[in-house]
Amino acid sequence: MPDFILNELEIAPREVVLQAARDFAAALAETPQFTTFEDTAEHLHRDEAARRALDAYQSKQQSLQAVLMLNAASDANRAELQRLHAAVVSQPSVAAYAQAQADLMIVCRSMADMLSQAVGLNFAAVCGSGCC
Amino acid sequence: MNTPLEPTLTSHLSLATEALIENLLAAEPIVLYHRAQIRFQADAPARALIDRLSAAQADVRQMQSRREVAQADIDQLRALQGEAQANRVIVDYMQTQQAAIGFLREINREISELLGVDFASLAKRPGCC
Repeated sequence: MPDFILNELEIAPREVVLQAARDFAAALAETPQFTTFEDTAEHLHRDEAARRALDAYQSKQQSLQAVLMLNAASDANRAELQRLHAAVVSQPSVAAYAQAQADLMIVCRSMADMLSQAVGLNFAAVCGSGCC
Repeated sequence: MNTPLEPTLTSHLSLATEALIENLLAAEPIVLYHRAQIRFQADAPARALIDRLSAAQADVRQMQSRREVAQADIDQLRALQGEAQANRVIVDYMQTQQAAIGFLREINREISELLGVDFASLAKRPGCC
């Protein structure tokens, strides 16, 4: 199978490629978007009021999960869930975290798009653990 | 609000991204995938077979949703699948693509471990499915 023989000179050793990935991660970690994301995550973690609001919302959401999936929640339950959600997003540390995450996602998408375009595979889609 | 990147960091991140791309393009799984892709693109019968298989799969899915699928349709689909599985160019293309995806996942793990968050999840666009 001569067409399968690789020229070793043109192949980058695995460890070299992995080191390039680590260098890329280090450069991304130095961006203001990433450091702000980390700072806001830490701030949110320490903000007891925000965490209580978040816990209350998540707890209510979990308790209503089945009826919400069936679209069978009562108006009262929906109103309570909306009230708890509003209480979460009105927390300054939550809003700051959400904004920092959104800003970081823009940078990550831009970088992943460059990788995808070069390789010819959608980096985020094939590596993500989500629904795809 | 999108905070603009500082010039020095932009340059640093740009250089690191370019270096990663250069290394990825020279990584064995990606090289093999690209070679297999070129062979597949140059092989008109293989591409026609994949087109016929995709069309047959779509037809059967539609018929299944209407509960109208017949044994002959299933047989035709299986015959096309068998033909594709016996085609070396197609099999190479699929296998090298899976290997390339596995390698990209390894790269993502390496990046994510250092960042402490999953890079691919942050890069995923909403509604990608």
